[in-house]
Amino acid sequence: MARKDLLDIASLHREEIEFLLDQSTSFKKLFTHSVKKIPALEGKSVLMLFYEASTRTHSSFEVAAKRLSAEVTNFDVAHSSITKGESVRETIETLQAMRTDYIVVRHSHSGLPGMIARQTTASVINAGDGAHEHPTQALLDAFTIKEKFPDPRGKKVLIIGDILHSRVARSTSTLLQKLGVEVAYLGPGSLVPKYVPATIPRFTNYEAAMAWAPDVVYLLRVQLERQDVQFFPNVREYHRVYGITTARLAEIRDRGLYIMHPGPVNRGVELCDAVMDYERSLITNQVENGISIRMAVLDWLTPGGEFPRQESYAAPQRASSTVIMP
Amino acid sequence: MLLLQNARIAAENSPELVESDVLIVEGIIQQIGTSLAIPEGARVIDARGRVLMPGMFDAHVHFRAPGFENKETITTGSEAAINGGITGVVMMPNTRPALDSATAIATVLDNARHRARIPVYTSGCVTKNREGKELAEIEGMHRLGVIMLTDDGDTTADPAVLLRAMQYATEFGMFFASHCEVPELAGPRALNEGVMSYRLGIKGSPACAEEIIIDRDIRLARAAGAHVHIQHVSSKLGMETIRWWKSRGDVKVTAEVAPHHLMFTDEHIGDYDTNYKMNPPLRTQADCDALLEGLKEGVFDLIATDHAPHTPFEKAQDFISAPNGITGLDTALVSLHHFFVEPGKFGWDLVVKRYSAEPRRLMGLPVPTIEVGQQAECVLFDTEAETTFTKEFMKSKSQNTPFINQTLKGRVDLVILGTEILLER
Repeated sequence: MARKDLLDIASLHREEIEFLLDQSTSFKKLFTHSVKKIPALEGKSVLMLFYEASTRTHSSFEVAAKRLSAEVTNFDVAHSSITKGESVRETIETLQAMRTDYIVVRHSHSGLPGMIARQTTASVINAGDGAHEHPTQALLDAFTIKEKFPDPRGKKVLIIGDILHSRVARSTSTLLQKLGVEVAYLGPGSLVPKYVPATIPRFTNYEAAMAWAPDVVYLLRVQLERQDVQFFPNVREYHRVYGITTARLAEIRDRGLYIMHPGPVNRGVELCDAVMDYERSLITNQVENGISIRMAVLDWLTPGGEFPRQESYAAPQRASSTVIMP
Repeated sequence: MLLLQNARIAAENSPELVESDVLIVEGIIQQIGTSLAIPEGARVIDARGRVLMPGMFDAHVHFRAPGFENKETITTGSEAAINGGITGVVMMPNTRPALDSATAIATVLDNARHRARIPVYTSGCVTKNREGKELAEIEGMHRLGVIMLTDDGDTTADPAVLLRAMQYATEFGMFFASHCEVPELAGPRALNEGVMSYRLGIKGSPACAEEIIIDRDIRLARAAGAHVHIQHVSSKLGMETIRWWKSRGDVKVTAEVAPHHLMFTDEHIGDYDTNYKMNPPLRTQADCDALLEGLKEGVFDLIATDHAPHTPFEKAQDFISAPNGITGLDTALVSLHHFFVEPGKFGWDLVVKRYSAEPRRLMGLPVPTIEVGQQAECVLFDTEAETTFTKEFMKSKSQNTPFINQTLKGRVDLVILGTEILLER
């Protein structure tokens, strides 16, 4: 089951997911040792290609790669030719010539990591593409949930917030469903589109969502920067209607629910300050687990494969695109 | 002299093909009948089993010149047309500079006369540089033969500007071709809003963005007493809107449908395949079915490809960065045969009516037929043979088509225009 790239959760098989979660457990045990580094990727190079700002994901990948003894290079997008108008396609050719083994890419364009993967021999890891997927986030979320619920089947996760723009919602929901976890959404009508998968119930108000009896409340970051036209009137109203207010936190504590958030948190919007000290908040666990999951992913992927054809730019045909004969 | 023996002749008003010999002398169809005598010196082609039809006419093509000759030129574009059995086209004016003045039109038409083996017509812009603000040089363009006005690629966003243009240009006998979408709703991405756009994580363009402008522009045409032609309709409600207006009969409205909107849905985009990215976008199976129904019913007067070439480099970008549009001239006739005529969804009479006769009527041009006394403008089509659309087969400068390297049933064997055989395979 060797794979060159990790681009999405949708195409991952259950066995692959279980394997990665198991590997992550082993890697996490290393963290308690005084020497946290192993030589698994010695002599290999990892290139960090982040076109979007990122603190957690970027540093998490960097730490993970270094703990596996890989060389890490940051492709400095802000100071590169990209600001001179070089297209991503041209950048990929440059990267291909550098013969890097792994490319960790984040970009605001959905599907862009897949395009890179088709045109390079390096293993490409999607670190978030537009509103499409964020597979390592989903894996670390599942890992974090499994630490609390070793058999997560039948457990319920309520995801609250901006479903429309969230790659986390897509990837994490897909992965949790593959593990037998039930998922439901709650959020403003303008941010929870009516065409989300039919297998995911959608609640329109907080009380109804709580009556569904979730085990975990997963809050999404409100992405104010993605709102070309307003999706809700203001953050105060958002907090009152969809946020974890102090009163709601008390109820959550009574019920013993876990709270998760992919970060960075908008305090006073998705959640009130007190959530940060809530004993069942898993937010820092998520950060910690990000490293071992990313180590498992880097260790698992196999760079190489057929060198892409250089004589033309013809994108290889995808299986899904063949003309269907009537 | 050319004698085609036992060809099956297609005509717009005859559901059945009629087997006959056709004798062409000096570019004119001189005799039609069974077992015609072979005149001295005549070349004889055994056309048994093959369909002889008038040359097609595409009223919506982008030949990219001037300004984007790396994508297409008038020469390569018109050769792609011939390759697909099309003997006349209308170019869209979204070139650089845009075709918004008599000077620009004169240059392009002059080029076309020298560089194309088929008649190439052009439309002109409604507004200067298609910006939707100042009116283009409407009468100046009309003087050179332009009768279709369009800001194709975009909607003329300001309804007041379009209404004025309609009131003004109608006096000269010109008509308007509308690319329909509310820019604020459509957003920058050509992708249908729905399950697929959610799955791909790209902001979609809802069908209502198109339907609103279809309705708006017909209302404006009614108010101005103008003729409006709705381009490349992609949605069910869009089709029904046009049907409703046509049934009222108090406004001159015509409409076109593109082959790809009849054949594909947004599901075909699969893993971000940019050869399925065009504007208006591919929608759902229900839309495809409704469009086919609209075509058969006559809601759509014509079929047009919206032939939109882009370089391999541009289309090899990610889905969001890649430009909108696919090529169509090389593939249209064969694909219509493959998807519709061969499975019996409609006949050759519909193809001839909607892809040869009606587009010429829209443009006020004579309609070629396979009849004695007519100029020979015809295509011989083998329904049993296959065509594989390789890069080498395509005559367009670009190959951004879903049919690339696909094999479809049907083949254009011969294209005749007057005394010239434009293509022989």
